[in-house]
Amino acid sequence: MTKDLEKLAAMIGRMSLSRRSVLGGAAAIGGLSMAAAMGRPFSAFADDLKGKTVTFASWGGAYQDSQKANYCDPLQQKTGVTVLQDGPMNESKFRTMVEAGDPVWDVVDVTHEFLFNGIQNNLFEKLDLSKIHADRITPAYRNDYGIGDIVWSYNIGYSTKVFTDGNHPKSWADVFDLKKFPGSRALNSDGPQATLEIALMADGVPMDQIYKVMATDEGVKRAYARLDTIRKDTIFWDTNSQSQQLFTDGEVSCGLILNGRAYDAANKGAPIAVEWNENIQSIDYLVIPKGSKNIEAAHALIDEMTVAENQAKLANEIAYAPTNPEAFKLIDAKVAPWLSTNPENASKGFVIDGQFWRDNLDKLKEGWEAWKVS
Amino acid sequence: MNLVAKNPMNKNAWLIVPAIVVILCFFIYPVSWLLIDSFARPKWGIQNYEVVLGRFVYLKVLLNTFTISAGTTFWCAVIGYPVAYTMAHCSKRTRRLLIFVVLIPFWTSLLVRTFAWMVLLQKTGLINQTLLTLGVIAEPIALIYNRIGVYIGMVQVLLPFLIFPLYSVMLRIDRNYSFAAATLGAPPVRNFFRIYLPLTLPGLVSGGTLVFVSSLGYYITPALLGGPADLMIAQLIERQISTSGNWGMAGALAVLLLVVTAICLGVVHRIIGVKTAWGR
Repeated sequence: MTKDLEKLAAMIGRMSLSRRSVLGGAAAIGGLSMAAAMGRPFSAFADDLKGKTVTFASWGGAYQDSQKANYCDPLQQKTGVTVLQDGPMNESKFRTMVEAGDPVWDVVDVTHEFLFNGIQNNLFEKLDLSKIHADRITPAYRNDYGIGDIVWSYNIGYSTKVFTDGNHPKSWADVFDLKKFPGSRALNSDGPQATLEIALMADGVPMDQIYKVMATDEGVKRAYARLDTIRKDTIFWDTNSQSQQLFTDGEVSCGLILNGRAYDAANKGAPIAVEWNENIQSIDYLVIPKGSKNIEAAHALIDEMTVAENQAKLANEIAYAPTNPEAFKLIDAKVAPWLSTNPENASKGFVIDGQFWRDNLDKLKEGWEAWKVS
Repeated sequence: MNLVAKNPMNKNAWLIVPAIVVILCFFIYPVSWLLIDSFARPKWGIQNYEVVLGRFVYLKVLLNTFTISAGTTFWCAVIGYPVAYTMAHCSKRTRRLLIFVVLIPFWTSLLVRTFAWMVLLQKTGLINQTLLTLGVIAEPIALIYNRIGVYIGMVQVLLPFLIFPLYSVMLRIDRNYSFAAATLGAPPVRNFFRIYLPLTLPGLVSGGTLVFVSSLGYYITPALLGGPADLMIAQLIERQISTSGNWGMAGALAVLLLVVTAICLGVVHRIIGVKTAWGR
């Protein structure tokens, strides 16, 4: 029955797509005439892609709106290709689509973890790097199967109401020190990713040794022993909005929060600031699902994402850090300090080990769930 | 004489056909598939059940689910019994007011009510702030993100399910039994436990069963008001499907819940008797 359901869902998906493609088509025509009026020269690409469509799937919300405005719309105007929006991205949906051999999506925004997972399970098309200006992107943020579009990070967030500027938690060891820095803590309930890392940092493991220690059972035990010390005083958040709310309401004094969420909360008036020391960066990649029928247009869309101006606009709108360092020249001075790829910030932390988590997530997740309910 | 003539109800038996069709299509069919999936995915065998019964997490969550449901039922009974009693034995005006008050929560969405509790119960919330200002407490007390929060949220939502069955039974109790006992010299407490309480037992059992069974599937309230140790089985089932796409495992958990629930209800009805619980 679930197979039938999946088929039905795919059918409905396609129906709504075709309805949207009519609208999208109208928008494309509008875009074209505007481009023509502006006298923008069409690249050689344009003739190839005119009349074609490419479906972009991401995580919805302000993020996808900004991606649409800054990657999809410019491509549509330049080339006449119709970019359809879909989503939200869902790993099992992605997998089912590719396994059925007929993916509805052509370019998908995926997490760092899923990138390594998908490569292992052969879920992505290998990128044709002659069609993408990959060299614009910092090497740590790209791969043969995915090009990083944004970088975000797990940070120490702290209440500016509780801790005045000079005296706030500056390391994970501080966050785990209830005597020196009183108040409840915020941690992520969702999974062990990043949480085990910060517990080990709090326990004195240097940043470059984390994954070596975590690969052993004793290392994992060490992390949980450290987590036990603050468990009673910790509120676990399930969703990112919840993490924002905890700081906004003053339920916690410090803890784990994503940089973009802290930025958003601070912008809305919450008494929150982030510490960049010992931050853990993660990357979102654009990939092409295996079996995509619009490979050409998909590459063109990924290439459009690498343009510095586009990345800068997205960063100015929603404060997600660019993977093209050139973008910083165009980024608002007020936003730049909040961004994970700002050289000053990036150097204080490290990139999460996607391969480690791909290989160990199932095992460690079980331990995580058991620890939570014990 | 045929059956139809004997029992006038049977003439109208076709009236329940729509209900049967709905149950067949939307309950029996999907549940059977879930049952099959639990043995068939990812491959045929009992591997899903081995995992569910063999791992600490799943057993702990199952235990959580039953402890929280039993606790909720207990608190609903403790709070609901006096309310139902008052409703059954007061003036018409007061009764109408009480029924209105008990019913109000039904008009508000579960999600909204749960969020309202978050606003009230948190450290900077109304309750803690009031107690702090009055000097009753020196430090905010933890009323949320723990078991207390889960109980508060669930008892409030489920209370009417206990009160109304109980109230309707109390309404039909012949007060002369109590008067007779009093005349014969039974003091009020003894009178209550020997005469009144046993007479209300059918209402208490059917209300309690409703609350208990509804609690077992609770999802939003423990997720928003509880801590990580208050995970209930519905949350686990949702996570198996939406995050892992693991239908087999979700099926096994659902079947396990169904079986254990059936056993619980069976035991309760064995002890109290089905007839007294579900009508006459």
